[in-house]
Amino acid sequence: MPKMVFIERDGNRKEVEAPKGLSVLEIAHRNDVDIEGACEGSMACSTCHVVVDPQWYAKLSEATEDEEDMLDLAFGLTATSRLGCQIIISDELDGLTVTLPGETRNMLMD
Amino acid sequence: MTTDSMTEPSSETAATQPIYLDYQATTPTDPRVVEAMLPFFYERFGNPHSVQHALGWDAEAAVEKARAQVAALIGAEPREIVFTSGATEANNMAIKGAARFHAGHAQGDRKRRVVTTQTEHKCVLESCRRLEREGFEVIYLPVESNGLLDLDRLTAAVTEETAIVSVMAVNNEIGVIQPLAEIGAICHAKGAYFHSDAAQAIAKIPIDVQAMSIDLLSISAHKMYGPKGIGVLYVRRRPRVRLEPLFDGGGQERGFRSGTLPAPLCVGLGEACAIASRELDEETARLERLKDKLLAGLTSRLEGVAVNGDPERRIPGNLNLSFAGIDSEALMEAMPGLAVSTGSACTSASVEPSYVLRGIGLPDELARASLRIGLGRFTSEDEIDRAIEQIVDAVTRLRGADPAAASTAAE
Repeated sequence: MPKMVFIERDGNRKEVEAPKGLSVLEIAHRNDVDIEGACEGSMACSTCHVVVDPQWYAKLSEATEDEEDMLDLAFGLTATSRLGCQIIISDELDGLTVTLPGETRNMLMD
Repeated sequence: MTTDSMTEPSSETAATQPIYLDYQATTPTDPRVVEAMLPFFYERFGNPHSVQHALGWDAEAAVEKARAQVAALIGAEPREIVFTSGATEANNMAIKGAARFHAGHAQGDRKRRVVTTQTEHKCVLESCRRLEREGFEVIYLPVESNGLLDLDRLTAAVTEETAIVSVMAVNNEIGVIQPLAEIGAICHAKGAYFHSDAAQAIAKIPIDVQAMSIDLLSISAHKMYGPKGIGVLYVRRRPRVRLEPLFDGGGQERGFRSGTLPAPLCVGLGEACAIASRELDEETARLERLKDKLLAGLTSRLEGVAVNGDPERRIPGNLNLSFAGIDSEALMEAMPGLAVSTGSACTSASVEPSYVLRGIGLPDELARASLRIGLGRFTSEDEIDRAIEQIVDAVTRLRGADPAAASTAAE
């Protein structure tokens, strides 16, 4: 089974199993990784924003217009930012590494 | 208020106002623009961001119509139009925003270089200086003696590490038009954003952000017969151009520019763009004729008059002329009936010769002898005739008073 790595806010590297067909958001939730995902993957928020390791970023399918619109609203956006709900694990993504951004734009969490 | 009552200057101002030939500093607001704006000050005053009542929706609809009018003029989508307070803010936002965003939160995406030219507007150059202080590497390319950028020089300067290239569309002092499409292609070949300060170009020459591969474009309303206090930054969406915003706030304008939109000013800018879309060709032809007449009227009667900047690749509404042997400050004093300038209004408080004229290699004595004459929508043939008389008179008088000046001119 593919694996993937989350780099958590305290810098901790968490390697977890990444079943094919699941999204990075779903994998995070299964493994108690602290990504919110307020809209549960319906692309109505940017709370599952992750920063993709640049080496891996190029391997992802291109973001849709709707995803880019949501990313526009993400806090701490970077050039390799994506929404976790839109990255679907495949064999090519075995080893994918993403970093959790410092803050999200959900005032209730602060 | 009717259009007629606004076009007729009151007798008081008509008697005292000089002939206005400084259209690169600012333009009068077109009466049709003023008319379109007026209802939005009192009757239709809603906050365009109030989504819970009809006054807000009305203002929002007006702002969105204006956004579409701006977009249509430059071949963009309405959603790519971000309203700002003017071109200075738009230029700051584009250059600092792009550089800071791509400075590299992550390894492998570190773009630390910015490329621009030595003859940009002060606000572009000062934004670049700020970035230098933040640790960015800025390349200030020289221009040729005609004021245009050498494309081979540009190609050599733009690397994979370049975040943004900023080259103005039309120079504010000498009116020359840079080869935008060619510059855009060079930037995109290296993955750099292409930003162009088009404050002096919009409504003067056709601009198409697709054909010219422009990612970021700055517009100022008051340079194109719109109101002062508003401008636009065009921000490309496909592929997405990302910027770090200058302001934090409520996230208006796609998060790029927080703050309540000034609906009356937006409406005015939209109307100014709509007028420009309809009238650009006709106006260009008319100004071309007036400019030729002015230049011929001066050169046929005066020695030692030369056009600064490329004689062909320029907008018709600008003539930057040197009068050999004349001090331009003295010349302006000798012609109180003419409103002209020695250069950019933004820097005209300083007595240093223009850095743009220095940039095209003009010797200091000619730079100090240069006038910027700007023609526009409301310049009449009669005003050109009178301007020729006043300039010829004043130059002749000044040269007569100073025989050395006269001999310099005759050389």
